[in-house]
Amino acid sequence: MDRSIKASRIQVAYHTDGEPLKALKETSFTLREGRSLGVVGESGSGKTSLALALMGLVNRPHQTAGELMLFGKSYLNLREVEKKTYRRSTMAMMFQNATEVLNPVMVIGSQLTERLIEKRLTSSRLAREEAERLLRLVGLEGWETDAYPHQLSGGMQQRVLLAMAIACNPRFLILDEPTSSLDGIARQEMIQIIKSLQKKLGFAMLVISHDLKLVGELTQEIMVMYGGRIVEKGLTDAVFEKPMHPYTCGFMNASVEMAPHKDLWGIPGEYKSEDTTAGCIFRDRCTQSLDCCQSETPALKGVSIEREVACHQDGLVSILKAESVSKEYQIGSRKISALNTVYMNLRHGETLALIGPSGSGKSTFAKIVAGFLMPDAGEIFYRGTPLTDNRFACREGGIQLVLQDPFSALSHRLTVEEAVGEPLRINNIASEEEIVSRIKETLKSLQLYSCDAFLQRYTSCLSGGQRQRVALARALVMRPKVLIADEITSMLDVSTQANVLRLLKQLQNNLGFALLLITHDLNLARKVSDQLIVMEDGKILEEGNATRILQNADQSRSAELLKAGLVDG
Amino acid sequence: MDKKWQYFLTFFVILTLNFALPRMMPGDPFLYISGDENDLTAHYSRDQLEYYREYYGLDQPITIQYFHYLKDIVLGDLGFSYSHRESVSQLILNRLPWSLLLVVSSMVLSLLVGIFLGSYSAWRRNRWNDSVLYTVVMVLSEIPAFLIGLVLLVVFAATLGWFPLSGAKTHFAFYESLLDQGWDIGSHAVLPVITLTIARTGGIYLMVRNSLSTVLTKDYMRTARAKGLKEYRIRYLHALRNALLPLITRIALQLGGLVGGAVLVENVFAYPGLGTLMTTAVAHRDYPLLQGIFLVTGTSVILANFLADSFYQKLDPRVQQGGRKR
Repeated sequence: MDRSIKASRIQVAYHTDGEPLKALKETSFTLREGRSLGVVGESGSGKTSLALALMGLVNRPHQTAGELMLFGKSYLNLREVEKKTYRRSTMAMMFQNATEVLNPVMVIGSQLTERLIEKRLTSSRLAREEAERLLRLVGLEGWETDAYPHQLSGGMQQRVLLAMAIACNPRFLILDEPTSSLDGIARQEMIQIIKSLQKKLGFAMLVISHDLKLVGELTQEIMVMYGGRIVEKGLTDAVFEKPMHPYTCGFMNASVEMAPHKDLWGIPGEYKSEDTTAGCIFRDRCTQSLDCCQSETPALKGVSIEREVACHQDGLVSILKAESVSKEYQIGSRKISALNTVYMNLRHGETLALIGPSGSGKSTFAKIVAGFLMPDAGEIFYRGTPLTDNRFACREGGIQLVLQDPFSALSHRLTVEEAVGEPLRINNIASEEEIVSRIKETLKSLQLYSCDAFLQRYTSCLSGGQRQRVALARALVMRPKVLIADEITSMLDVSTQANVLRLLKQLQNNLGFALLLITHDLNLARKVSDQLIVMEDGKILEEGNATRILQNADQSRSAELLKAGLVDG
Repeated sequence: MDKKWQYFLTFFVILTLNFALPRMMPGDPFLYISGDENDLTAHYSRDQLEYYREYYGLDQPITIQYFHYLKDIVLGDLGFSYSHRESVSQLILNRLPWSLLLVVSSMVLSLLVGIFLGSYSAWRRNRWNDSVLYTVVMVLSEIPAFLIGLVLLVVFAATLGWFPLSGAKTHFAFYESLLDQGWDIGSHAVLPVITLTIARTGGIYLMVRNSLSTVLTKDYMRTARAKGLKEYRIRYLHALRNALLPLITRIALQLGGLVGGAVLVENVFAYPGLGTLMTTAVAHRDYPLLQGIFLVTGTSVILANFLADSFYQKLDPRVQQGGRKR
C-alpha cells in the first residue's frame, strides 16, 4: 500500500476582472506518512493557495489543476461528494486564525463534533464528552465546549481550530500558520502539542508559515515559495544552514526568528504579481541575474543531495573559493605556519566573517585570496578561474581589498578625487568624464560629499571615518564582486563604525557583492555575517552558518574562543 | 439604561404625541363638525359649542385633559367615535383581527418565498438563473401594491370569478361547520394576501440574497466545507442561520407597518381591516378614532421591536453581553 502523499503540478488561478491571477504555478511534492514538510515564503507567495488547492477548496470561478494522490488514491479529480468523504476522514486542515474562521453563532462543542455525529462516530449524547476530550488534547480545559467563538481569546480559538482538524484522526494534516496568534510561551506549548499529536496519531503534516523558526522545529523537509513557485526544496536543517537560492538567503536575512542578533535586511524591490511574462520570477530582485533569467523560467532541479533549486545558476554562485591553502613564513631560522590547509567558499551576495584571535592568520589569508600574496600550497578560484596574480583586482567586477588602517591606506599627497579615481585611471577603465561621475556617485552612496570642494581636498585633511569611507569608495568604484574587508572598523569610533558597516551592508544588499569580513570582533560578526569561519593558529576550527554557530556558542568546537568574545557569552 | 425602561419611555412619548398632535392643529373638532364642506348641516350656536366643549371636557386646562387622557388609556377607554357612534376600542378590536390575518399571513408567505428565492439566487450568484430571478422579482416588487391588487381583482375575481370581489366574508351567511366558515374567510383573503405578499417579497428576497452572498465568502464557510460536512448542513446550519440575522430586524419593521402597509390594499379589496377604518376616520375627521388607530399602530411597532430584540439575542450570541459586537 502506498504510504505517501504525492502532489503533482498543482496550480491555482484566481478569477479577476482582467487576466486570471496565477497564484500558484505547478507545484509538486511528495510527503511520506508520519513526516512533515514545511512551506515558507512571504505573503502572496501562494502558500495558502496551495493548501486550499490540496483540500479541493478553491471553487469556481477560480481554477485549479494538478493531481493529489492520497495514499495511492487520486483525490483532486473526484466529484465534490466523494471529496467530502476524504475530507471527513483522510485529510484535514487547521486554518489560519482569523476573526470569523469559526461560525459565530454555534457553540464550540457542536462545531467540533458535528462531523463526528454526521459520520456516526459518536452519538449526540457522547458528543459533549468527545468535544471535551478533544479540547483537553490541545491544552484547553474542556469548559470551552459551551462557549461561542467570540467568548474565547485568539489563542484559544487557534487551539480549537487544531482540535477541529484532528477530530477525525486524519492521516494528512495541513497546518496554516498554526501559531500566528499565540504568545511566546503558548507558542512553544503549541509546537509541543503538535509534535506529540503527530507522534501519537502518526499523520503526515504540511506546515505553512512565514515563521521560519516554527517550520524548523516542526519539519524535516522544507519548500521555499516565491511568486507561486517553489524556488528551493531540501532538508530543513540543510536549507537553514546554507540557503542556496538568492531568495531563500534574502528571506532568512529578513527573518528575526532565524537570526535574533543579526541586523535585519529586507530583499530590495517588491514582488510583482501582475508580471506574467516568461523568465525567472525573482529576476528583478536578484543581484546575480543573467540574460537567460530574463527570458527563461528556471525549473526546479537537483543541485546536491536532497536539494533542489529553481535557478539557472543553481542558486548563489560561488565567487571566490579557496582550497587547502597553506602558507609559511620564514623568520630567521624558524618557519612559522601562518595558514594550514584553509578552505573557503564565498558565494554571491554573502557575508562571510573570518574570525579568530590576532595571529591566527586572518590577514595572510585575506591577502592570498585577494591575489596579492601567493600561497605555498593550495589553490584559489575566482568564479572557477585559478587565481595566480592580482589581475582580478585590476579589473572591474573583480576583487577589492580594504585594509584596517585608513591613514596609511590613502596617500596623504592625493586629493579625494585622485585617490578614488586612481584604480580607474591606472587600469584605463573609463573615460575621464565617466570617471568623475563614477567617483561622485560612489562618494554619494557612501554618504560623503560629492561637491568639487570635497573632491579637491587632500586625504590628510579628513577624519578617520571619512578616510575609511574614501578607502571603501576607492574599492567600490571598481564595482567589485568580492570585497575583502580586513578589520575595516577597528580604528573607528563606535558611531562611525556603525555608520560605515550599515552603509556597506546596504550597498551589499542592493548591489549584491560578496563580502569577506575579517575581524576579531565576534559581536560585529554576529550582527552582519551569514557564514562564519573560525580560525586559530592558521587552522579552521569551525565553519558554517553564522547564526547557528554563534547562537549555540557553548556547544561549538570553538566554544572557549566564542564565549570570551561574545558580549553575552 | 435598562431595555425595559427604554421601551416604556418610547411608549410614553407615543402616547404624548398622540395627545398633543390633534390639539396642536388649529380649531377644535366641533368647528369641523359644524363647518361641513357643503354647508348642509346645521351650525352650532355659541351655547351649543360651549355645551359640547364642556361635555367632552375640552374647556378644561390642558394638563387636566392630559391627565384624563392617560387615565382613560390605562382603563382601556379610547373614547367614542363620532362617525361610527361606537366606542373606539370596540371598533378597533373588531377590525384588528382582519388586518392581522392579512398582514401575518402575507408576512409568513413573503418570508418563505423571499428566503427560498433569495438563497436560490445567492447560491447561484452571477449565473444566469440568478440574473433572471433577480430581474423578475425586482420588476414585480416595483409595481405599487394597489395596482397589483387591481389586476388580480380584475383577472381572478371579476373575469374568472374564482375568488369573491370584496369583503372578508360573505354577508349574512350561515355556516354549517367551522370548516365552511374557514373556507369562506380563506377565499376572501386569498387575493389581498397574494397582493401583499408580492409587494413584500422583493425586499426580503434582496436582503437574503445579499446577506447570504456575504456569508458565503466568510471564513467559517470554508471551515465547514473543509470538514467535509453534508451539503444541507453547510447551507442551512452554517450559512442560512448567519444570513437570516439581519432579516429579523427587517421583519420587525414590517410588522410595525401593520396598518400603513395594508391601507391601500384593504381599500382595493374593501377589506374590513384597520386600513379601511383609518380611511373613513380621515374622511370624517374622526379624531378619537384616528387617535386610537395611531395608538395601536405605535404600540405594535414597539412590540415588534421588542420581539425582534429578544429573538435576535437568542439567535446571535454576540449581542448578549451589553450589545457589544465584534
